Amino acid sequence: MIGKKKVWVQVVIIILLIIGTIWAGFPILWMILNSFKPNSEIFAWPPTWISENFSLDAYKAIFTNPEQVRFFINSYAISAIVVTLTLIIGILAAYAFSRFNFPGKGVINTIIVAVQAVPPITLLIPYMSLIVSLKLFNTFGALILTYMVFTLPYAILMLTGYFNTLPKDLDEAVMIDGGSRFKALWSVLVPPSIPGLVSVGMYTFMQAWNEYLFALALTKTNDMRTVPVGINLLMGQHAYEWNQMMAMSVLGSLPILFLFLFFQKYFIAGMTAGSVKN
Amino acid sequence: MKFKTVAKKMLSAAVVGAMVLSLAACGGSGDSDGGSSDGGDSGDSGDGVTLEFQQWWGVELPDGALADICQKFTDDTGIKIDLLSNPYADTKTQIASGAASGTMADVVGLDGSWVYDFAKQGSIANLTELMGNASYDDSQLSSQIQFEGNTYMIPVVNFAYPMYANMDILEKAGVKELPKTRDEFLAACEAVKKYDDSIAGWAIPLSTESPSGIQNQFMTWLWASGGSMLKDGKPNLEGNKELEETVDFVKELFDKEYIAAGANSMKEPDMVEEFTNGRVAFMTDGVSHLTTIKEGAPDLKFDYITVPTVEGFSGTSGMDVANWGIGIAENCEHKEEAWKFVEYLMSPEVNAELAVLANAFPGNSKAEPDYSSSDELFVKAYELFQGCEAINEFTGAPTSEDLMRSFGEELQLYLDGDTKSAADMLKAAQERWTPAFE
Amino acid sequence: MTKGKKLLTPYIYLLPTIILMCILLIIPIVMVIGYSFYDNVIINKNPVFVGLENYTTVLSDPVFLVAIRNTLFFVIISIIAHFLIGMLFAMLLNTRYLNVMTKGIFRVIYALPWMFTASVIAIVWRMMLNPNGVLNYLMTNMGIISEKIEWLASRDVALSAVTVINIWSGYPFYMISILAGLQGISTDLYEASALDGANAVQTFFRITIPQLKPILVSLLMLDFVWTLQQFALIWMTTGGGPVNATETISTYIYKQGFSKYQYSMASAGAVILLIVCTIIGIFYVRQQKAGD
Repeated sequence: MIGKKKVWVQVVIIILLIIGTIWAGFPILWMILNSFKPNSEIFAWPPTWISENFSLDAYKAIFTNPEQVRFFINSYAISAIVVTLTLIIGILAAYAFSRFNFPGKGVINTIIVAVQAVPPITLLIPYMSLIVSLKLFNTFGALILTYMVFTLPYAILMLTGYFNTLPKDLDEAVMIDGGSRFKALWSVLVPPSIPGLVSVGMYTFMQAWNEYLFALALTKTNDMRTVPVGINLLMGQHAYEWNQMMAMSVLGSLPILFLFLFFQKYFIAGMTAGSVKN
Repeated sequence: MKFKTVAKKMLSAAVVGAMVLSLAACGGSGDSDGGSSDGGDSGDSGDGVTLEFQQWWGVELPDGALADICQKFTDDTGIKIDLLSNPYADTKTQIASGAASGTMADVVGLDGSWVYDFAKQGSIANLTELMGNASYDDSQLSSQIQFEGNTYMIPVVNFAYPMYANMDILEKAGVKELPKTRDEFLAACEAVKKYDDSIAGWAIPLSTESPSGIQNQFMTWLWASGGSMLKDGKPNLEGNKELEETVDFVKELFDKEYIAAGANSMKEPDMVEEFTNGRVAFMTDGVSHLTTIKEGAPDLKFDYITVPTVEGFSGTSGMDVANWGIGIAENCEHKEEAWKFVEYLMSPEVNAELAVLANAFPGNSKAEPDYSSSDELFVKAYELFQGCEAINEFTGAPTSEDLMRSFGEELQLYLDGDTKSAADMLKAAQERWTPAFE
Repeated sequence: MTKGKKLLTPYIYLLPTIILMCILLIIPIVMVIGYSFYDNVIINKNPVFVGLENYTTVLSDPVFLVAIRNTLFFVIISIIAHFLIGMLFAMLLNTRYLNVMTKGIFRVIYALPWMFTASVIAIVWRMMLNPNGVLNYLMTNMGIISEKIEWLASRDVALSAVTVINIWSGYPFYMISILAGLQGISTDLYEASALDGANAVQTFFRITIPQLKPILVSLLMLDFVWTLQQFALIWMTTGGGPVNATETISTYIYKQGFSKYQYSMASAGAVILLIVCTIIGIFYVRQQKAGD
């Protein structure tokens, strides 16, 4: 009887998996298919699946253009720096929120939540004046600081949440044994929070990798530009290079995909479970 | 005033803090700005002045063509040109935010629809003054875009918007004569619909995001028949009989289902794809798309006509033009040199060269572009253009884009049947336009 | 002395955050708040103080009221769907009926929408939802619809279509965060629950949900705030149209600022959003405190 029930559950799971795959994957599949089509075929009716004129031209066009390759390098560098700095600063702040009660805690917390609400677009003008007067206009520094500011509130909130799930006696034990707070933070709180750190880090990386508006407004020359701006370079005033845009989007998502594959093991059940609670 | 001082104080306080921060946070990664983008020669050294030239033209022109033209200028004058080329929409965002924060490039490419706002804001320079200082003879300029009596933008090249006709479809549908009047146009659309229900007669992009369909596809009907949406520089929508007829004509096209599906979210590039894929018989569109369409569908047979007029119209048709304009930033420190560059681009030879490269018509009336190697269809479009009067009433109008958007919304309401009559629709649009002109 | 040091400790941990946020976020926000009380800044060289006039103008603008209604629909449906789909997929990927390899593959597939920038998502969906696009093709062929639907161009469907796009692009964030959270739940708890004879549903509500609560609360609140100001996706698919069908507060603000050049109005709209989110922030902090 148990076996029968198990089969039934498995069938439901398989059906759900298939529906989920179509829902999540179809737009991406369509994007990939279109990146192999000549531009004129993209809006053909009836739509073509695998084009008769299947070609890798769109990809070739990107790889042979040193300017486009440069966009990728810039995006890597900026995103990596942003992730590192955001995580370090975020861990410190989350520790303060998770383990201390201090005057102004509520106010600072509220501010951190609320500031995320201002649509970045409305901040653009004053923000630009600020960056210009800081002499950071058209530098990587401007983009790095900007993305840190945008990702820090999220990092702090999530990390505070993860730290809160860890019992206080864990780090207090270290301090009773004579360890410093700093040691308690890095050796006790951080290791079991690695899945949380990975997901915050991934999020930060993607924000930095995918942000478009400020990347456009805060830089002026193409050697300072990132991938999303590069994708939009393919939208002319009158005509779009649809296939190249699709190809560049596919290429642009690969680094995130690899990161995700690489860090997958941190999500696998059982790795941290058990050691944390009770 | 007071608010400004407070803001300034805060800024200076912030500068100190952030300097420390940026040094600590990002090490040396930040200090590579300035003129080092091209092989590391520092721009301002010695006698040479470097001008930044921000535009979207470099993206549209053949690779390297604009750089070559600028290089010739540098060879002649020693003034270096730093090209900042971005797509149209990005350039607009950059110039708009640059205008507000004082980081606009020295020389900027402008669209006629932006001029009013940037001039009012004081972020682009008065060219009348600069022309006077340089004792420039402006009679050779085919047009100048003005704000309060002074010139702020000079159109470098013009793009005309005739009508494209898909000859393959029309032939199969049995349309022998290309339409000259609106009635003939309706008849042609009907024939197309009868021939194949899935082919539309005409298309209009009405997306709220980029509402230029009102300018390039809708108003072209009005202008072609000698109508006007402005009177003495003020909106003239309400009670404008010619405009009412035009609105009702487009409504008829919609009601008879001659118009391509999805108009309300269509953008200009989408419309071109519809035409290239043979799903639309007629399309009002810029000649600049000629190469795109030829590349996308080498076998497609199409032709140019002027936009059909109302019955019995005998005057000169107006043909919509869009232009690549040029202006100088108010914050530019080398206005004299910047003007020299503008003068260079407008000189007959260079202007003609640019026009040929861009598939456009020159902004200098003395320029004699050599279209002999251009497509014969292009030459035909040029002939049509010369027989018409170039017109675009949105050029130089206040908040043009918003005017188009609000008109577009009122039009959509009427097309959907929410507004009772064309007169009511125009009354509502007039109410939305009026504040901008005050 | 140690007491003084102890009092200062949390602030030292917070110092980098405070410096960064004050300079790069608080100052621009304060400037925006300042703009909102002046008569047309940026365009006017010498703006005049007008008090709350901009606010009364914005709040009495019928388009703004439509924008609020659309925003509420967009935000609420998005959040609920994000939560349900994210939770479902996370549970699916956490079940013991699948082997490690299968889980790994599907985890990547389900996270795919997360990996693309908003402008790319907008372009892809615009292509698919085109009246002559692949979605209409599939649906007419399968007999689900009889004639092509104008997904983004119809005033009746556009808002729902845009919401679906936002749901698609947003749920993986929940899925990943919940998956990470699930790893932190002790297996002992599940075993104890199984010993008590609880079925899967009971375990889910008695163990999983309460254990995930801190993460879920943060997720919901963040999602609310983010969806509230979602701009790029809506702007690049419909631009707020047709007419006002998909006009949200953020597209309204953008049009005021960058199309009408009414920067003060845009600022007033932004401040209204800021106030709403501050209230949410206060609730969140209260809730956090209560949880302690």
